[in-house]
Amino acid sequence: MSDEEHHFESKADAGASKTFPQQAGTIRKNGYIVIKGRPCKVVEVSTSKTGKHGHAKCHFVAIDIFNGKKLEDIVPSSHNCDVPHVNRTDYQLIDISEDGFVSLLTESGNTKDDLRLPTDENLLKQVKDGFQEGKDLVVSVMSAMGEEQINAVKDVGTKN
Amino acid sequence: MGEALKYSIMDSVRSVVFKESENLEGSCTKIEGYDFNKGVNYAELIKSMVSTGFQASNLGDAIAIVNQMLDWRLSHELPTEDCSEEERDVAYRESVTCKIFLGFTSNLVSSGVRDTVRYLVQHRMVDVVVTTAGGIEEDLIKCLAPTYKGDFSLPGASLRSKGLNRIGNLLVPNDNYCKFENWIIPVFDQMYEEQINEKVLWTPSKVIARLGKEINDETSYLYWAYKNRIPVFCPGLTDGSLGDMLYFHSFKKGDPDNPDLNPGLVIDIVGDIRAMNGEAVHAGLRKTGMIILGGGLPKHHVCNANMMRNGADFAVFINTAQEFDGSDSGARPDEAVSWGKIRGGAKTVKVHCDATIAFPILVAETFAAKSKEFSQIRCQV
Repeated sequence: MSDEEHHFESKADAGASKTFPQQAGTIRKNGYIVIKGRPCKVVEVSTSKTGKHGHAKCHFVAIDIFNGKKLEDIVPSSHNCDVPHVNRTDYQLIDISEDGFVSLLTESGNTKDDLRLPTDENLLKQVKDGFQEGKDLVVSVMSAMGEEQINAVKDVGTKN
Repeated sequence: MGEALKYSIMDSVRSVVFKESENLEGSCTKIEGYDFNKGVNYAELIKSMVSTGFQASNLGDAIAIVNQMLDWRLSHELPTEDCSEEERDVAYRESVTCKIFLGFTSNLVSSGVRDTVRYLVQHRMVDVVVTTAGGIEEDLIKCLAPTYKGDFSLPGASLRSKGLNRIGNLLVPNDNYCKFENWIIPVFDQMYEEQINEKVLWTPSKVIARLGKEINDETSYLYWAYKNRIPVFCPGLTDGSLGDMLYFHSFKKGDPDNPDLNPGLVIDIVGDIRAMNGEAVHAGLRKTGMIILGGGLPKHHVCNANMMRNGADFAVFINTAQEFDGSDSGARPDEAVSWGKIRGGAKTVKVHCDATIAFPILVAETFAAKSKEFSQIRCQV
């Protein structure tokens, strides 16, 4: 079963190193899990003991960390699930280009220009308005399984 | 005058109190039980049932009706005036037999009645089988791990803590269902692949035939049904452990938000109602007989299909359900007559008895006793 899922992932260009295996029974609420090849945050876990339905099962409800879509899965609690490595990095916002990309300043002093503006409307407004108002913005970029997205912004003080 | 009045009063009183009886001699069976002075003779003991009274007599009647089902040939009826040459052919008329629908509930497959059913299906003694989800999965699970005898009074909470499930006085360990899960999920995966790649539209009866093929075990009645091409219908296929497995499988293979791309395993119940009713409608010149153990879905499904041909010709019900709550389970055959599911002139009986007692005896005195005839005649049809 999990072999096939791996197969799917590799198609979606998400190598095994981007996830690690964890026993389903040990994954808790607010943890991460891969469902249908998507990195998700777990919002609900319910378990059913071994019974007429066979092996003990964990029922996960989780939210795709990038697109916010709700996904569900049921896994025997002794089986391993793929859990994504999720990283957050803060960058200073330098510029917003006309085609919707942002320019970010990395710690090493280089620029990172391959990220789009966030899709979430509230966040998008905060970034755009803040930048136009000349605020000094730091964006938090979440990355998992080869995907990256701005998921938070904070104002670190107005420019002089 | 006083004397005359006295006599006429006495006469009228006598005529009321001592109402003269209708003579039953010759028209009714005399009630008589088995005489054990003849020694223990099981064949005679069972033959004495019909004259014993109450449900023993009903069981005796059921034996007689099933034997009538098995003995019936089209040649026993006069050809209709508009029938074809082929239909008039004596050998052909001798080859047309009664089509037998067998329905039973899942608990009976959990019990040893499963092996009686397997015998009937193995030797092609019945034509159509109807059961519930448990009637399918319990047969398969028994090929993976046994069911054990327990007790009706074992307390549920303590059984739960030991991972044991109770069916009456039988016990099924949880582990049996884990083995079942391990066995069936790859089969579902394969069936799903066939649905996607070969455009197979599964119906419950096709799924069941496939499971019978995959289990490949001669103790299974589903294996024999698959081998002998006897359809097994189960419109309630999801109402049991099989449904649990299909539920889990749907998470693996289905995407409710993207049903066109990823529909999951699809099982079409409409295809099966057409096939099931077709079994009755296309019975042609054959008569139909129903043998139904227990109530619920199997009982109604068999009766309902027979409505499509204006009713069955023979009906034997074996169950302990009562009719006062209006349930179909408890309904006597006469209720089905009112719906056109059984013909007005049909031979019917309801045996109010646990089928685990009555059915093996019934089979011993009917199908099993005629096993030689089956291997000769009926298999050619």
